[in-house]
Amino acid sequence: MTQREENFPALLERLTPECERIIAQYEQKRSALLPMMHLFQEHEGYVSADAMSAAAEMLDLTMGEVEGTVSFYTLLYRRPVGKYMLQICRGLACSINGAEDMMAHFRERLGVGHLETTDDGVFSYEEVECLAACDRASCMQVNLDFVYSLTPQMVDEMLVAMRAGAYSTAPMVQIEAPGRTWAISQESDISRGKKSPGAVGVPLPNNAGGVGDRSGIIMLDHIISRDVEFFTKTSERAVVDARQVVEVREEEGTHAGH
Amino acid sequence: MPVTKVLTAGIGEVDLRGIDAYRARGGYKQWERAVREMQPADVQSLADKSGLRGRGGAGFPTGRKWSFLPKDKHLRYLVCNCDEAEPGTFKDHMLLEETPHQVIEGMLIGAYAIASHHAFIYIRGEFRRGYEIFCAALEEAKRAGYVGKNIFGSGFDLELTVQRGAGAYICGEETALLNSLEGKRGEPRLKPPFPAVEGLYGMPTVVNNVETLAYLVPILERGAEWFAAVGTERTKGYKVVSVSGHVRSPGNYEIAMGTPIRELIELAGGLRPGRKLMAVQPGGGSSACIFEEHLDWPYDYESLAKAGSMLGSGAMVVFDDTTDFVKAAYNLTRFFAHESCGQCTPCREGGDWLARVLARLVDHRGVPGDFEMLARISSGITGLNLCPLGDSIEPFLKSVMLRFPDQFKSRILALQAQPA
Repeated sequence: MTQREENFPALLERLTPECERIIAQYEQKRSALLPMMHLFQEHEGYVSADAMSAAAEMLDLTMGEVEGTVSFYTLLYRRPVGKYMLQICRGLACSINGAEDMMAHFRERLGVGHLETTDDGVFSYEEVECLAACDRASCMQVNLDFVYSLTPQMVDEMLVAMRAGAYSTAPMVQIEAPGRTWAISQESDISRGKKSPGAVGVPLPNNAGGVGDRSGIIMLDHIISRDVEFFTKTSERAVVDARQVVEVREEEGTHAGH
Repeated sequence: MPVTKVLTAGIGEVDLRGIDAYRARGGYKQWERAVREMQPADVQSLADKSGLRGRGGAGFPTGRKWSFLPKDKHLRYLVCNCDEAEPGTFKDHMLLEETPHQVIEGMLIGAYAIASHHAFIYIRGEFRRGYEIFCAALEEAKRAGYVGKNIFGSGFDLELTVQRGAGAYICGEETALLNSLEGKRGEPRLKPPFPAVEGLYGMPTVVNNVETLAYLVPILERGAEWFAAVGTERTKGYKVVSVSGHVRSPGNYEIAMGTPIRELIELAGGLRPGRKLMAVQPGGGSSACIFEEHLDWPYDYESLAKAGSMLGSGAMVVFDDTTDFVKAAYNLTRFFAHESCGQCTPCREGGDWLARVLARLVDHRGVPGDFEMLARISSGITGLNLCPLGDSIEPFLKSVMLRFPDQFKSRILALQAQPA
């Protein structure tokens, strides 16, 4: 059991009155789901499986309903993230006013790409859609606080201040070390090029692939050969299942050899 | 040229976030007058006569929208849409952060007009600061007795609940917003039934934009005739327009409807010296570009529709001759592909396909036939979706492809240059 898991019952007890206050605002309980998830994320740094199952219980929902909803929203992180979530606007108005240079600058300074967290766990970096501050391009949010009219110098100073713990916006709660990416969708840079079956091993980009092409096998091979940790996520369950199938086959193979 | 400041009056000069500052400028007087002296029907007819149209994008007449509520059902909701995320739009963001009380008063009046006792505001998840400012203002308004039970001793009760989104552009679409408000995935619903008949929790619901509701305050104060006196034949009143892109002073400018587009660009400081205007996107990321020849046209719903575009959310992005329109088209297409909720196949698959083709054009690695393919895919998406998101992909792309075909075609590799 991790430290976070051990502390969860106490946290839940502490947050229950606030959850009840939120639930009381609505004619139907389920409306409280997003506010509750925001609340738990504030305290745990991300939306943990514990938080989702607690919400499911309080709101009379299934875990599937909760996770299905949570996974729709980009601001609810289902994996631990860095202490500073750097979200730079890649919207059109920013992009024609220097955002591309700024994004390149960030990538170079941080050494990570879109939807990735630095090894020290301090920074998470994401290129996000229009932030509704086009008059002060290029803009970004640091833990959802706006920073306007960015310059490379501002970026450098900001990163130094954050590393030193002296930045004006407080770091996010971080009670678990983040991995390379918090994104479960396949949009992150590290999974680019390996996303959809049709996009891998298919001669032409406009050929969507299909039954009989090798892309599915390539993808399966890719997930099996990669060490992915097992949580309760459906996609990962499939990976584990696939791995077990391989193990069984190997075992059978060895038996046959005897 | 005369700049009218109605909703934006005082912004940037004084801090209007506190209730005292807002009341010092006459704040909450109209709310009091509505509750004490007017019937809901009076407010509705004022809105009707003023010609106020929805400021969120569709431009539907506000009074008419309210009139669709069934008369025999008395549990109904007002939802204020503050999920502003249309590329280029930043007016609601400003109104929320700078004049939260004006937004509250507008919501109260709007709720009263439809005789609703529970109003919601759905604030975009990214606007955490705006959310905090709004919540603080709401607390003040509750303490002052403007929100809650038995308002002004009239027996009228009104609750106001603040909801924060969690990152999804599609939740700006009204039925997706209602789903999100119900704690579900923000996926648009099939219409009909329209929200006015079956909305939040299956009850009659009106969803109005922040700016629309805020304009109710000055309309009550100065009268429907005052509002209807400016504008063009079918587009009345004032509008906060977000101007950005290649202009020297980007920002929100409140104008009388029908102001020539050229004047609007000049208000925003005009182009940088020595630059030439190439295109203007007049109504947010979903609108088609208009060009040089349209600059003297009035900025209103009808003229922009005639120019092949739309007024939309009132977000104007100006492009000068430094613009790479292939990149711009890629940017917007990728945006829509990213924000597609995935329910409708044309939008989900088509958006991603277009973005991939455009990505290789950006890299100067287009394949022969790409230009025609872009046109074919994008027209194949339009009109086949539950909500307007899918239909928003084509307009910008098509308008710049028609206007600047060379920018696209020059990036297609010649056949002989391709590796065997």
